[in-house]
Amino acid sequence: MADNPSQQLLDMWKRQVEEGTQAWLRMMGQAQAAAPTPMTAMDPQAFWRPFMDQGMAAWSKVMTQGAAPSPDLMGQWKQFLDQWIAAWSRVLEQAMSTDTFAQLMGKQLEGFLNVSAPIKKAAEQQVDASLAGLGIPSRGQVTALARHVAQVEEKIDALEDKLDRILRRLNDAGAPRTERA
Amino acid sequence: MKDELFTMMGEMPAMSPEMLARMREEANRNLLRMKHFGEMVMNPKEPRVGPTPRQEIFRTNKSRLWRYESRRTVRTPLLFVPNLGISRPYIFDLMPKGSFVEHMTQQGFDFYLVDWGVFGDEDNGLTVEDAVTKILPRLARKALESSGASEMSVLGYCMGAPLSASFVATHPEFPLKNYIDMAGPIDFAHVGLFGKWLDPRYFDVDKYVDTLGTIPAEMVKMGFKLLKPTMDTSTNLNLWWNLWNPDYVSGFTALNKWANEYLPFPGEFFRQWVRDFYQQNKLIKGELTMAGRRVDLREIRCPVLAVGAKEDNIAPPACVKPLIDVVSTRDKEYVELPGGHISLIAGRGASVHCWPKVASWLAARS
Repeated sequence: MADNPSQQLLDMWKRQVEEGTQAWLRMMGQAQAAAPTPMTAMDPQAFWRPFMDQGMAAWSKVMTQGAAPSPDLMGQWKQFLDQWIAAWSRVLEQAMSTDTFAQLMGKQLEGFLNVSAPIKKAAEQQVDASLAGLGIPSRGQVTALARHVAQVEEKIDALEDKLDRILRRLNDAGAPRTERA
Repeated sequence: MKDELFTMMGEMPAMSPEMLARMREEANRNLLRMKHFGEMVMNPKEPRVGPTPRQEIFRTNKSRLWRYESRRTVRTPLLFVPNLGISRPYIFDLMPKGSFVEHMTQQGFDFYLVDWGVFGDEDNGLTVEDAVTKILPRLARKALESSGASEMSVLGYCMGAPLSASFVATHPEFPLKNYIDMAGPIDFAHVGLFGKWLDPRYFDVDKYVDTLGTIPAEMVKMGFKLLKPTMDTSTNLNLWWNLWNPDYVSGFTALNKWANEYLPFPGEFFRQWVRDFYQQNKLIKGELTMAGRRVDLREIRCPVLAVGAKEDNIAPPACVKPLIDVVSTRDKEYVELPGGHISLIAGRGASVHCWPKVASWLAARS
């Protein structure tokens, strides 16, 4: 056991976490035994161990920085949390940069699209029918009108561009410039 | 009550003066934290963003061109091209003393900002090609006319970099003085997690766009949040830690407002953006064609600066740097600065590292 009071605290906390995990494991074991078809043995420790170890390592690092224990406990705690979040972030980034994750995400998204497409279409039809009954233009009609206005604006801009180009050419050719209204 | 607490603490025998001072400071900070937290919850104030004076020069459909006038001690004005969709451009002029726009105008640059606007369902037909060959040339020409200058520098940030690079490479008639790519992906083979997730084996962009039409802001938000799942926890932890500091709180409020305002993508724009850039990496390969013209980055012949951010997970340095290898100029430089995709250009670090670097590099060539 370490003489450092902070290290003692850490050891105690670590012991408690391990005991808690063991208790959880026992509970899970009982639940599995009671289940009609036994599942593959789960080992939550194996899953949580890397994260716990990272947390422990971060805490130990914070605690061992400097010869004497610092009175700035809050600062140390913040530093510890920052390091733990950074460790989590790295782990998650590694997991999310795998092909498996990308594939899983793609499937989830496809599932969402498969479900949402007919719902969206049905909802739109329903709303359109209701609005038509009230004599109010539908969202699609308003959108089409807005698109039409945007197209007209684009044509005007294009015409203006052409006029500008013609004026520039005339200027370059030394012809007398006529001011455009 | 506060004084009583300190008196009690002062009477504790085993406490060193240093420890006591720290505890007093921490207690004081905790009081301030509670006060500011109460204010944020009970009486939230709408942050004032975009403080630098500006005027609208031109508007076409949803897009606008803004001019931020300076004393104009630098001859060549700067056209700033940010991302289309995703987020609003006031991040570049977030708050007084925390604004890239303000910094550049104080350095004597006339600053023109392209504001793509918020596109709706009626704009679903808008493509990347439209943005590069119709909107951008028009806005750039209007900026040039408004400035009265004979040349102009262009700075592309994030997605604005590949868009503006495509524009300047296909419009040799535009009098380009300098070009800057700030955290803008050019080689999409090294674009990180987004590149992986948008891989054509896993992501069917056609089905996505055909089903959704406009890509909703909520979907955009989800994608970006997923990129860094611990970001919100980290942000909230830092907020709590700095909640005693009113300057931090005001900065946080402004940044938080921006960070939660996501914008939708026009459907066809998203389709072309994902397919041509992320999935087929056509830009760096020289296979991209816009309005019948091949986008050849070798056509960029002016001085070029590329700026990467060390911690950038949206446009990692490896996808920014390749621009330097393809452009046809000897006056080119790549710098990698501390920070992430946003903190490269907004925030305290940016005012120390990025803004002075960009301003001095440009001033020497303008």
